[in-house]
Amino acid sequence: MKFSLGRYVPYDSLIHRIDPRAKLLAILFLMICIFFPYQSWAMTFAVDGAIFLLLVVLLYMTRTKIVDILRSLKSLWFMIIFLLLIYCLIPTTEPTFPLAFEVAAWNWRVYWDSFLQAAKILLRLMMMIELTMVLTSSTKPLDLTFALEWYMTPLKVIHFPAHEIAMIISIAIRFIPTLLEDTSRIMKSQESRGVSFSHGRISKRVVSLTSLIIPLFVSAFMRSDELANAMECRGYDPRGNRTRYRLLKAKWYDWVFLLFCAAVFGVLLWFSIDPRFNALLLFPAEVH
Amino acid sequence: MPITFSNVFYTYNPKTPLENAALNGVDLTIEDGSFTAIVGRTGSGKSTMVQMINALLSPSQGEVVVNEFINAADKKKRTKKLYKVRGQVGLVFQFPEYQLFADTVEKDVAFAPKNFGLKEEEALEEAHKALREVGLDESFDKRSPFELSGGEKRRVAIAGILAFHPNILVVDEPTAGLDPRGAFQMMELFEKVHKAGTTVILVTHDMNIVLRYADRVLVVDNGKIVRSSDPETLFFEDIEKYSLETPLLYSFVKGLSKRGFPLDPGKIHDVDSLAAEIAAKKGDKR
Ligand SMILES: Nc1ncnc2c1ncn2[C@@H]1O[C@H](COP(=O)(O)OP(=O)(O)O)[C@@H](O)[C@H]1O
Ligand SMILES: [Mg+2]
Repeated sequence: MKFSLGRYVPYDSLIHRIDPRAKLLAILFLMICIFFPYQSWAMTFAVDGAIFLLLVVLLYMTRTKIVDILRSLKSLWFMIIFLLLIYCLIPTTEPTFPLAFEVAAWNWRVYWDSFLQAAKILLRLMMMIELTMVLTSSTKPLDLTFALEWYMTPLKVIHFPAHEIAMIISIAIRFIPTLLEDTSRIMKSQESRGVSFSHGRISKRVVSLTSLIIPLFVSAFMRSDELANAMECRGYDPRGNRTRYRLLKAKWYDWVFLLFCAAVFGVLLWFSIDPRFNALLLFPAEVH
Repeated sequence: MPITFSNVFYTYNPKTPLENAALNGVDLTIEDGSFTAIVGRTGSGKSTMVQMINALLSPSQGEVVVNEFINAADKKKRTKKLYKVRGQVGLVFQFPEYQLFADTVEKDVAFAPKNFGLKEEEALEEAHKALREVGLDESFDKRSPFELSGGEKRRVAIAGILAFHPNILVVDEPTAGLDPRGAFQMMELFEKVHKAGTTVILVTHDMNIVLRYADRVLVVDNGKIVRSSDPETLFFEDIEKYSLETPLLYSFVKGLSKRGFPLDPGKIHDVDSLAAEIAAKKGDKR
């Protein structure tokens, strides 16, 4: 099985050890920060650059490999072209920068602003992806669902099925590797029977696919049946009050990390709202 | 042509934190027409090894040669269209009953022969023959494979491999979870296939089966072949260190030896030869 992106990687870094609840909230703070608007181009790129540096530090701390990061950005190629195209087609009404090129016959003018816009969005998208990677590669999926459930618990007052939802998510997550294993095992047995999943005529490939999908469904249903039985045998009741084997307990560095990210959030929010900061270093042409 | 492994290594998920070296330099030769048992504790690398015979996995280092096919780590040395080796090697996975998918038993069994180039009718004919061979009568042909019992499903799956007449048959723990009678019938079937000239490679944990059917046994431990011999010699040694259990017959012989009734293990293969030896010994004393 290929090593997939954003999958939990069992290292023992500081980021890995942070309480999932604190981590989830902190990352959420940073994620919102990425999308604050600023009036001046200079501020936009200065702040984005700073967040980018912070991200690099976080990625370094989770010991994510450079190749993994690059691989996660590979799919962005299409986005780059698409964004450039969109921004070049949308006319810039109040340009800050000089004309990049123009096609006079179609009355089509493209300013450097369009490229900067595209670059900004791209940078922000990239940071979103990397930030998600920090979270998912350093937190066990089950811990993440614990955190989600913890945040949803207050909603139980209004009969929101917080526990059930968390249970469904964690079971689904728990069975992803199992299903992948099943898939690879069934593929191998069918390949031993002369199936080729990679080449052949279309009609043959359809048969190949059914020879994979049907056993996969059969085994998935069997597993879910067995799981349901096993849970009932142990007296599982979704409404029951239960204690937990692994207790989450906030430690000092959880608070430090959370407060740090909250502080970043606060400062950047202030920058973005306060005109003294968000219009810092305005280009003359930006003043309207 | 025999099957050879030369210095074969295999690593799962290389260059990731989940890296796992499953084979650490396997060297072996399996002769044509032999009945070879592969034994060893769980996780020692048996299943990984047999999947290389079928080119489902390629070595990370070293090479595996099966008939005229070369499955080498080095892509340049590898035979082109290596997957064609699968028409000569039938691999029955552990719990093969999970690979059934067609709506009738006969169609499922005919699937492999059809994939290997037989026409619909010929494939069905082979399927019927294979089904009779594994002991399922005509009433099973048109039934859905999903409504059969576990043992019957497994027989259908094995018929699905026998139907294309591989000249090498590899079976990975075929008797796991079968009742003693079912296991016996299964082994008798492989014995019959072997007698018809097929090279049989059997992965198993049941040493009684090894003693009874195999003419050669390979012990795998920690991704390496640690012993290669005939079953009689192996079982008279101390094999607990490989987590293997001495076959009943041999614990009996060993017990007798300890109590001052030594017997020649080389002459004992089954209950009949044991009885003959005991009778001969008693004759001496009189
Ligand atoms: N698909 C896989 N991915 C990762 N590791 C595997 C996989 N299959 C087997 N392994 C590992 O390789 C080693 C050998 O496994 P295997 O060949 O199945 O042993 P055996 O069949 O002797 O029980 C074990 O440590 C096992 O955990
Ligand atoms: Mg195995």
